[in-house]
Amino acid sequence: MSTTKDFIVEQLKEQIADFKASAKRETVGRVIEIGDGIARIEGISEAMMSEMLEFKTAKGAIYGVALNLEEERVGAIILGDYLAIKEGDEVKCLNRILEVPVGNGVIGRVLDPLGAPLDGKGEIQADKFYPVEKIAPGVITREMVKQPVQTGIKAIDAIIPIGRGQRELIIGDRQIGKSAIAIDAIINQKGQNMKCIYVAIGQKESKVAGIVAKLEQAGAMEYTTVVLAGASDPASLLYIAPYAGCAMAEYFLDKGEDVLIVYDDLSKHAVAYREISLLLKRPPGREAYPGDVFYLHSRLLERACKLSKEFGGGSITALPIIETQSGDMSAYIPTNVISITDGQIYLMPELFYQGNRPAVDAGLSVSRVGSAAQIKAMKKVAGKMKLEAAQFRELAAFAQFGSDLDKDTKAKLERGKRLQEIFKQGQYSPVPVANQVLVFFALINGLVDDVPVEKVSDFEAGLYKYAATSGAKILKEIAEKKELNDKLEAEMKSLINDYKGGLEYLIK
Amino acid sequence: MKITVKQLALSLYESVEGKTPSQAKQVIGEFVALLAKKNLLARADKIILEFTKIWHIKHGIVEAQVASVNGLNKTEVKLLKDYIAKISRAKEVLLSEEISAGILGGVIIKYEDKILDGSLKTQINELKNKMIK
Repeated sequence: MSTTKDFIVEQLKEQIADFKASAKRETVGRVIEIGDGIARIEGISEAMMSEMLEFKTAKGAIYGVALNLEEERVGAIILGDYLAIKEGDEVKCLNRILEVPVGNGVIGRVLDPLGAPLDGKGEIQADKFYPVEKIAPGVITREMVKQPVQTGIKAIDAIIPIGRGQRELIIGDRQIGKSAIAIDAIINQKGQNMKCIYVAIGQKESKVAGIVAKLEQAGAMEYTTVVLAGASDPASLLYIAPYAGCAMAEYFLDKGEDVLIVYDDLSKHAVAYREISLLLKRPPGREAYPGDVFYLHSRLLERACKLSKEFGGGSITALPIIETQSGDMSAYIPTNVISITDGQIYLMPELFYQGNRPAVDAGLSVSRVGSAAQIKAMKKVAGKMKLEAAQFRELAAFAQFGSDLDKDTKAKLERGKRLQEIFKQGQYSPVPVANQVLVFFALINGLVDDVPVEKVSDFEAGLYKYAATSGAKILKEIAEKKELNDKLEAEMKSLINDYKGGLEYLIK
Repeated sequence: MKITVKQLALSLYESVEGKTPSQAKQVIGEFVALLAKKNLLARADKIILEFTKIWHIKHGIVEAQVASVNGLNKTEVKLLKDYIAKISRAKEVLLSEEISAGILGGVIIKYEDKILDGSLKTQINELKNKMIK
């Protein structure tokens, strides 16, 4: 007992002896104008760009970020309750750039853009702090995108493959399944050695609560972090949210891991930045966006990368989402982000209302990385599928006029209809890549041609079930070897024919 | 174009610089007449403030406030003045004193937009934070 007491006293003495009193020189200023989440500050002549500022208010410290450095004053955004700040309050420079906590402790949590917990599960156990703004990795450190991100969505994995380190834009009107694609992709990352970060920018809190519940139900929160800046949060938080999410992703990147990050959505982010810019009296440009709105998104999306082996080999795959107004892809923000990303998934309202869900428009959607981001087995079956889909689109348009079509055209149309049926997929039901290969293999080899169009989805569901029991070995081989050989193809063919033997609805 | 307070103060400074007191008096008279003509007399207070600032910058004068518990004696004031002159590279320091019991001990120096907090209270707080860690 006494030894512990002595030990503590000794420690205490040591600590006090070690403590060196020093007077720090601090730069201070005064608030001269406050309102709309923006403060103008006099003094703080040594403030740096995007430096953190501390406002001393009656209700305690509130933090802000310096954004405008002018001749005699500084314009700052306030991260928190700006109503507590009064004119004349003292402002202190903190000599550090805005940082967020990162580490394994953020996984499975719902955080605000400053890294404070919103899920009531207690403080974040952070390993480190990372700056919110960071320069993207350079050319030397990067590598070609070559590994696939399996989204589990048949239409995307087959025609618009996404690779690890790619930036693939999801674009479309409101209420058309943009977020659904991203959520399905996150759910399908289970067991794929991927961390996920979902950044909700200006989303309804009820929608985010629904998403978190769904992810939890699917067991996806074990590897997912949700960064939330809700619709009622100030524009300053909306503005930093994607950068904060990216900083959290960079921690895993530096450890050589793969990360999938979803920005939902960047049009609201641009609107928040427009609000801040206009309040800071920066000159407006097209659609009242400031001049640097392109840089706003390019510097964010450029941080998505695939690093080479020498630099850890990690990757950040970004899925930004953009909402268009009645399909207008040529508006300012959509064109900007399309030009920054490595391809886009375009969701079409017509397809959605016809019942083709996900409503991916195979014509307007592209992936500039292409088949480099597919496993060999998928490459083999999807190459032919792309051709079939393109031919179907071409024929379907003019086949509406005449009924007198030659045999070849008719066959192609029938095949195309079945292809379209196979691309239909329910929400929250991603399909494993081996199953996808199996069903696409059946289609391109004409094994689905004798299934009635309205029965295709039944056929598909039945095939998965049958394969899970009788063809487990085949599925395993596809998933592990990732390529097809003659023997495997023959086995797949006989598996599908065996399954079809028990069906009653086939066209004779 | 609107003339800012700063521009007015600067022009006043430039026109009185190096003049004898009587000449300066005449210049100031003309300046006030100009203000009246341009309807700017309402901004006279601000111009005076700005003028003081410019005068201080041009002559290397720094205003500083020192807060202490019991007030300072002459040698302490002299030491502080020299110290502030050294760190702010000023030729002259105008020191104003302030009594504040809340800081427990030591001094807090304020000059321009800088604060040097050498108070006992802050140091105790820092020690506390360090001990908690």
